[in-house]
Amino acid sequence: MSAIDHSLRVAPATRIASLAGRIQPQLVLPLIGLGAWAYGVTQLRPSAIGDYGLLASANAFFVLGLVALIAGFVVELARSSPRGWLLTLNLIGLVVAIHATIPIINGGTPEYAWVYKHVGIISSFAHYGRITDPSNIYDQWPALFAAVAAISSLAHVNALSFAAWAPLAFELADALLLFAVFRLLVRDRRVAYLAVGLYEGIIAWVGQDYLSPQAFAFLLWLAMAYVILRWLRAPDAESASRRIAQLRARLVTGMTPAAATTRRQRLVALVLVAAIYFVIVAAHQLTPYVILAGVGALTLLDLLRPRWLLLPLAAIAGAYLAPRYGLISSNFGGLFSGGNPLQNASGSHGTYHPGGEALTAQIVHYLAAAMWLLALGAVLRRRKTVGSVLIPALLAFSPLLILGAQSYGGEAIYRVYLFSAPWCALLIAGLLLELRMPRRLPIRWPLIAVVCLAALFAGLQGLYGPVSVDAFTHSELRASQWLYAHAPRGSLLVLPDDNFPTLQAADYSSYDLQVMPSDPQLGQAWLDEGNPADVQTWIADLGHQTAYLVVSRSMRADAHYFGAPRGYEKLVSEIPSALHGAVVYRDADTTIYRLTFA
Amino acid sequence: MSRTRSELTAYAGLSSSILAVALVLGAPTPWLGLIGALVLACVPAGAAVMCWIDAGENAAQAGLTLAVSLTILALASAIMIWLSAWQPRALLVLAGAAVISCALRLRVARRAGAPR
Repeated sequence: MSAIDHSLRVAPATRIASLAGRIQPQLVLPLIGLGAWAYGVTQLRPSAIGDYGLLASANAFFVLGLVALIAGFVVELARSSPRGWLLTLNLIGLVVAIHATIPIINGGTPEYAWVYKHVGIISSFAHYGRITDPSNIYDQWPALFAAVAAISSLAHVNALSFAAWAPLAFELADALLLFAVFRLLVRDRRVAYLAVGLYEGIIAWVGQDYLSPQAFAFLLWLAMAYVILRWLRAPDAESASRRIAQLRARLVTGMTPAAATTRRQRLVALVLVAAIYFVIVAAHQLTPYVILAGVGALTLLDLLRPRWLLLPLAAIAGAYLAPRYGLISSNFGGLFSGGNPLQNASGSHGTYHPGGEALTAQIVHYLAAAMWLLALGAVLRRRKTVGSVLIPALLAFSPLLILGAQSYGGEAIYRVYLFSAPWCALLIAGLLLELRMPRRLPIRWPLIAVVCLAALFAGLQGLYGPVSVDAFTHSELRASQWLYAHAPRGSLLVLPDDNFPTLQAADYSSYDLQVMPSDPQLGQAWLDEGNPADVQTWIADLGHQTAYLVVSRSMRADAHYFGAPRGYEKLVSEIPSALHGAVVYRDADTTIYRLTFA
Repeated sequence: MSRTRSELTAYAGLSSSILAVALVLGAPTPWLGLIGALVLACVPAGAAVMCWIDAGENAAQAGLTLAVSLTILALASAIMIWLSAWQPRALLVLAGAAVISCALRLRVARRAGAPR
């Protein structure tokens, strides 16, 4: 047989692999991707971003940059022995592209109004060095805020100057720990790399990585999970009784064997777990219980040693919660306040304003459903060797137990998604890499690339969709700082819409901040902002002689995007005449009025 | 124990401690001071612990060093807040402790590797 005949008979997949092996586009794709992304970002204009978000108004360079990063990642992954440094470079590039875009185009001003509340706690700790507002739930769970206040104090910089970069920092750290945990659970490191890549896409929309206790607690949980799975797994053959041993043997078939450990290592691991868990407990209200669900599921199937590990963890959580239970009760109606899982899973609001909000919500709902369904499919596919997926399956689905107890102010489902996502990503990655394809149909890697791109762009629509609402301009931040610097302490500050960077000052608790009860997303909405007489009566009833009323670009964007509060525009136009508001501050994006009552 | 991995952690602990203290105490600009504070938050305390433990994987060693550092920093800072004894500069003690622990670790490693 001639060489030509031979080459004609070689399967297309082999020929493609051979060609790719020689050309190796993956060596330049990360650089092309990052270069295109960086150029694309310089061409983005925040003012041009509409209701459908950043992706809808992005240029081709921005999109091609992301595609090139995914393409480089998948092409390298397709090699029989992929180079770790190149996959890592692609992943770092991807995380940077996802999470550095918004801080760059916003000039480093943090996203999300609630980040400024966190900055306020940090500033108060850094300034006063103690808890100044014991009735504030954030003050009672101070671990993250105290740590950032320490960093801020040591560097003599305000946390506002670096808060915008928290998502990038948290995601890079999460990716590092996730890769480590995944390597414990799978033999093929390609699965671990692919899982991290998928995770960065499917998690992008949930927005839980800003400067917040839950982002910090999640990072620590990943470290805790590593310690537990590396040093505290039950030895393979050990079980309490013969019957349990038989049942366990069936469940652990195919499981990666537990690493050999010494008594000293286990002791050190226990101390580490207890210390990390205590800090998680002191940082965030809900995370400790999601962790208890995961550790409880592993304990129930006799996969951990010591078997009593759950007890000290529960004791730490309970002991910390008991003296603060009143705050949980007043904020969330108690620990087991909502026993309706379906209602708890519906999120912070069940209806969506037609247009950008509804489309973005629909996309992320499909993404979440696909994630859980594919993960479930991966488990069912491995039902004969369920041990190979048992640990990720338990950790993926145990967070759902939280929905049986709490809605967490409508936020529980997002935390459940966050805690479920890493393990779902691992299950899906395993499923994709094990798919059997016909030899003459080389679509495995194109399919993986399509799945990665679909997850990434769906996640990015969720992340970037509401960016015109979530992002603030420098001038809005300056206006807020002016307000806290010039309004006398004890003043009443009134917001027609809560989407404004308030409470960022160290003495935030010295002011009476009120948001008009006219947004159904924030609870009972009975005040019609379009009726100035009602607004005036409501403000007067708050009992101050003077009030500072703030209106801004971000409030207008919020009211437009969510369709509420409905009377916002009318109120803005009538403040000077009907409410006799005197302008005390005005810039391009914000106006602050002083209202005086007899 | 993989000597290389834990010894590298000890070297990282030593160098980051010195860098962090130098930047926090002597940085000419707040941004350099911020880098020093972040280094102090992310490396020395974790390295002081992890230089004695081999996590079995480079990513895990680095990740646990980071997480343990943040844990210790958060714990120490929260205790200062709870006790109303706010002295952030006292956290530089973490760098000192890291220098001692990491130097000790390297000394033990050198003794173990020295010919008898």
